[in-house]
Amino acid sequence: MKLKEVMDELGLEHVYGELNKEVTYGYTCDLLSEVMGNAKPGTLWVTVQSHMNIIAVATITGIRGIILCNGHDYDEQTIKKAKEEGITLFKTQENSFVVSGKLYALGLR
Amino acid sequence: MIQEVVKKVQEFFPDLKVSEFMNKSVVWINPGRKLLHVKEIMRIKRISGVPVVDESERVIGIVSLEDIIKALEGDYIEDPVEKWMTKSVITLKPDDDLEKTISLFEKYGYGRFPVVDENGKLVGIVTKHDILTGLLVKLGTIYLHDARRKDVLENPEFFDRSLITGEVIDKKGADFSFHIDYFDTNLAGIGASKLKQFLLEKGIDERTVRRAAIATYEAETNVVIHSGSDGYIYCFLRDDQIVVRVEDFGKGIENVEIAMKEGFTTAPDHIREMGFGAGMGLPNMKRYSDKMVIVSEAGKGVVVEMIFFKEGKENETQGSNG
Repeated sequence: MKLKEVMDELGLEHVYGELNKEVTYGYTCDLLSEVMGNAKPGTLWVTVQSHMNIIAVATITGIRGIILCNGHDYDEQTIKKAKEEGITLFKTQENSFVVSGKLYALGLR
Repeated sequence: MIQEVVKKVQEFFPDLKVSEFMNKSVVWINPGRKLLHVKEIMRIKRISGVPVVDESERVIGIVSLEDIIKALEGDYIEDPVEKWMTKSVITLKPDDDLEKTISLFEKYGYGRFPVVDENGKLVGIVTKHDILTGLLVKLGTIYLHDARRKDVLENPEFFDRSLITGEVIDKKGADFSFHIDYFDTNLAGIGASKLKQFLLEKGIDERTVRRAAIATYEAETNVVIHSGSDGYIYCFLRDDQIVVRVEDFGKGIENVEIAMKEGFTTAPDHIREMGFGAGMGLPNMKRYSDKMVIVSEAGKGVVVEMIFFKEGKENETQGSNG
């Protein structure tokens, strides 16, 4: 599924990045090592972590996009890094549980 | 010689099982193939014995280098394997212990023993080299709370030798190196990202690169968060494997066996709030590497060495039933 479709369906705020990328999986977690250990390449990651290290985690694991929940804002550094690495960033007021449920209903696994 | 060393060491590892040190990517051959094929496999893979398995992967024979030499001398190298293979094969079970393994080597003098499960299915192979490697890996984690660790840690060569193979490693000759010289946890992962890029540029398959990058990321974050010192990432490219070594000169780990447990962490709250310190670092490194050795002691830094077998090759050589 294209990130653009996900964004439209969930009403996400687009912070940065390419929307034409394909995602197949979702993963929800705030512990970076857990994400590193379990997220598959082609994942859309749901989290409340906003510091720049999430970009390193995304780059290394092959995560294509990040949804930052609960109305948190990305650090400036994080957005800068996302531009370097080509990671798409979204934000939403909703919490991780609700977002995950919607992603699952859309067909991400 | 090796036998004597191993014999002396074995009493320290009464629980070490065959499944822990056997080579799982064992090359085998079907009985209908020619001895000539076995010769080629031995030449290419540089091995000196190949188990013969039937269509249900059960071991029904073995061909050694000696058999091949005889075949060349007797001019029957074109004969099928089943005609000349040794049919009474001595095998090990995954649950057999080190003592049993060594007794087989002594009793029969063979170079290798296939490992079979309860149905006789081939699951691995053990050579003396595998035992030695297995022991070295085991020593790596045991040293931590054992008086003998001093021999390693207080030896100036400690930082210059491979933990896994014992060979002197030339760090200046590393294919990739990165100085972890920052203390800002926000930056953690730069070295691992660079390594990932480097490995991809070298044409290494994506899955292996991913494993190496994840494990290196964990090791790098450990240096930044826990060591209180700087550190280095070295990567060496070998034919069929990638070796990554991450070392620091900082606080060290008091007890590696505990640190290896999932969920164990010493990270302070502010680090945990950032999503670090889940206690998954070392377990993730172990999970994503094929071989991993870590040596440390409080106050003496940490050296982690990991081996990642490249994937494509391994799959290609699994078996040779063409």
